[in-house]
Amino acid sequence: MSLLSVENLVVRYGQLTALRGVSLSVEEGETLFVTGPNGAGKSTLLKAIAGVVAPAEGTIRLGGAEITGNTPETTARLGFSMVPEGRQVFAELTIEENLWLGAGMRGNRAEALRDLEHLYEVFPMLQERRHAPAGLLSGGQQQMLVIARALMTAPRLVAIDEPSLGLAPLIIDQVYQLLLRLRSERGLTLLIVEQSSTRALMTGGRMALLRSGRIVLEGACDALDGEALERAYFGYDAPQEAAPR
Amino acid sequence: MTATLQILFDALSLGSLYALGALGIALIFGVMRLVNFAHGDYIAFSVFLLLWPTTEAVSILFLGVLPAPLLILAVIAIGAVLSVVSELVVFRRLRDANPATMMIASFALGFVLKHILLMFYSSRPKSVSILPDLARQVEVFGARIPLLQVVTILATIVILIALTAFLKRTRFGLEMRAAAQDFTMARMLGVKANRVILIAFAISGALAGAIGLVLVVQSGTTDINMGLSVMLIAFIATVIGGLGSLYGAVIAGFLIGGASVLMQVVLPIEARPFRDAFVYALVIAVLIWRPQGLFAPRSARQRV
Amino acid sequence: MTRAPSVFARTFTTPLILIAILLAISVAVHLFGSGALQRTVVEMLMRVVLVVGMWIFIGNSGIISFGHVGFMCLGAYAAAWFTIPPMLKQISLRGLPEILLTNQFPFWPSALAAALLAAGFALVIGPILMRLAGIAASIATFAMLAMINTIYSNWSSVTGGTSSVIGIPIRTSLWVALGFAAAAILIAYVYAISRSGLALRAARDEPIAAEASGVNIARERLIAFVLSAFVCGASGVLYAHFLGIITPDAFFLTATFISLSMLVVGGMYSLSGAVVGVVVISSIIQMLRTLERGVAVGDMTVSLPNGSQQIAIGVVMILILLFRPAGIMGNRELRLRLNRGTGGRKSAEAPRA
Repeated sequence: MSLLSVENLVVRYGQLTALRGVSLSVEEGETLFVTGPNGAGKSTLLKAIAGVVAPAEGTIRLGGAEITGNTPETTARLGFSMVPEGRQVFAELTIEENLWLGAGMRGNRAEALRDLEHLYEVFPMLQERRHAPAGLLSGGQQQMLVIARALMTAPRLVAIDEPSLGLAPLIIDQVYQLLLRLRSERGLTLLIVEQSSTRALMTGGRMALLRSGRIVLEGACDALDGEALERAYFGYDAPQEAAPR
Repeated sequence: MTATLQILFDALSLGSLYALGALGIALIFGVMRLVNFAHGDYIAFSVFLLLWPTTEAVSILFLGVLPAPLLILAVIAIGAVLSVVSELVVFRRLRDANPATMMIASFALGFVLKHILLMFYSSRPKSVSILPDLARQVEVFGARIPLLQVVTILATIVILIALTAFLKRTRFGLEMRAAAQDFTMARMLGVKANRVILIAFAISGALAGAIGLVLVVQSGTTDINMGLSVMLIAFIATVIGGLGSLYGAVIAGFLIGGASVLMQVVLPIEARPFRDAFVYALVIAVLIWRPQGLFAPRSARQRV
Repeated sequence: MTRAPSVFARTFTTPLILIAILLAISVAVHLFGSGALQRTVVEMLMRVVLVVGMWIFIGNSGIISFGHVGFMCLGAYAAAWFTIPPMLKQISLRGLPEILLTNQFPFWPSALAAALLAAGFALVIGPILMRLAGIAASIATFAMLAMINTIYSNWSSVTGGTSSVIGIPIRTSLWVALGFAAAAILIAYVYAISRSGLALRAARDEPIAAEASGVNIARERLIAFVLSAFVCGASGVLYAHFLGIITPDAFFLTATFISLSMLVVGGMYSLSGAVVGVVVISSIIQMLRTLERGVAVGDMTVSLPNGSQQIAIGVVMILILLFRPAGIMGNRELRLRLNRGTGGRKSAEAPRA
């Protein structure tokens, strides 16, 4: 049984259909990249899974339990942790408060504290300024903060929306380095929306290409053909769709 | 010297009322982006239940016969319960509506509450004597100050300290602060939306009860519109303080109280009836200088 | 195959439909209604003028203004100053300038001047307010309303203070009110389809994109603000010449609440919403009034307890908003879809663009 399974997901914003029947699955321990051009619906996909938008049709299951249309806090408490686009730190709260917020749903306080210390080890620059307001951090540091914060919830699956957005390439390298270190240390299952398919291919795992609300290509990163990827990404093969009424 | 001291206490006690009112509004606005126009009616409602419903001009004490500590508790509890019930019945379903709809719904709710009071109690202000000991004067550094003013100021300080401790040191407080900054993100970290909002409404309602209590002791009457003037200023203070900033709301409340009292003293006699107009003009001036409020949290600025 | 509606249909059916509705109500009540019912319809038509005036600013800019009843106040008192017989003015309003104290002007020029006065005030205070956005702007308009109320309640020599100003000639008949309402709807619609209205709505939905497209948001807001002040001022004129008596408290919180509610419950973003909101809520209020007086059912009289009418209207409004948070009309206008050869069919559709 896959850890996360999405079947025929349809999401509409008013008269606009953002997702037109998307199906995918993520196995435990694997990393799935969802890439695609702007406006393809990648963020919408993550938001639907997280419970921030309600799907019009389709089913979403986490560890076998149906979570379609749940409130965000219910899905979060079932083990799904989302790092949304644009980092979304709580600017007025301190770093430590940001991190501690995620621990709210854990039963074991001692374990949560141990987790916190361990994350400080992985991200020493966060520990240095643990009592400073999170709004003062640089973009890269904020990205690391929100990843650490997501991990504080002891999730089964971590979804990250555009971790590289607005960051310099060197910083993106650092972020991914730490992310992958955490992945191997904790055996994380990751669902990453990444506009740069290059970065996805570099990191390895599986990739699904979303275009205009549909998955047009799917496969293991190292097995995908570069040219097929390019054609799918830019829609060279896509049938011309009639203009919507 | 004694005159200055009296003015100072006037300003502080009036400012305390405004600050508590602004705090009540800001708490709910922080988590729900709702300006609750029914708040003034919570104030009146929680106080009216001290009396038996009667349209006569006399007031017959109902809960008002309780001994002082119970009475205070009762009024505050009524305010909290009323606030919570209105969230459960009205506001919960409007969570995702646009701000205008939520505002009008809260207007309508206040309207309904006021007319319920009207139906059971009539619009005649009734004189009532609650906690009469507080009306006497005490001597502070040579000036004669009404004990009520001192109590109000002290109570406000205590409430502010308690609230700060709650927000900064408890988990609920942390969740509320996070929810006020970014509600959706907080939910994605497992913060229960309904719980946080209910706590905000409960505290806000309790504050309304406290304000009502001060007003009824101060004026010796119950009047359907008694919460109105405090709430009008409270709305304004919330915005001037910076929407989303609780500190800002409190400080702005004190500032407006101070400005109001100051104007009363400083303005020439002919201009005194227009004091409120000057206060409102001052409000507009502050808004032009700092449209986002004096203490707008960083997250309030929109990033392009 | 349906043909696209003609330019005429696309451009003008909305105001025509709205005016036709009001005309139908007016004719019906003129022919069949009692005197009291006619007065109620006149009140409704006055509200239409006010709420449509509010819509010009609120609906197009998205900024909720609490201040527009203040313009109604300005218009009403100006109408009073111009048209009350000099003898009365010299007794109770001695602070007025000489030219007003010794003259009494006819209705139509006075009405125009009064509305222009309200617009002029908006022109002066507008530039200050229009730089603000969102809630700050709303609170600023509220402060403006409170300021007007305080000044008018205390400037006794000119406004009579809190006591009523009496002696205003009664001129608001059913047809005058209908005429004002029709004019207000036309003004509002022409503004809405003009470049300025379009620019303002663009700024309402996407301020940054609008600015980047060259829209001067503050200026467009000011235009809407001044125009809406003119129309709201006109509603004040109607009100003054309807009751013959005015006090500042008639133009403060209750009036603001009721008119804003009608606008939002009808649908804040569309002109049809403004008119529909007034008609629907006025009808419900009238129904509740009748019920409170007592309705004969067989041999008995069924009536609501006294005072429950207001409670009921509040509850009804909350219910409407719970089920239709965007208001009765949503964001849509009433339109007539004219297909050649198949007759007309009324429909509500999302506005183009």
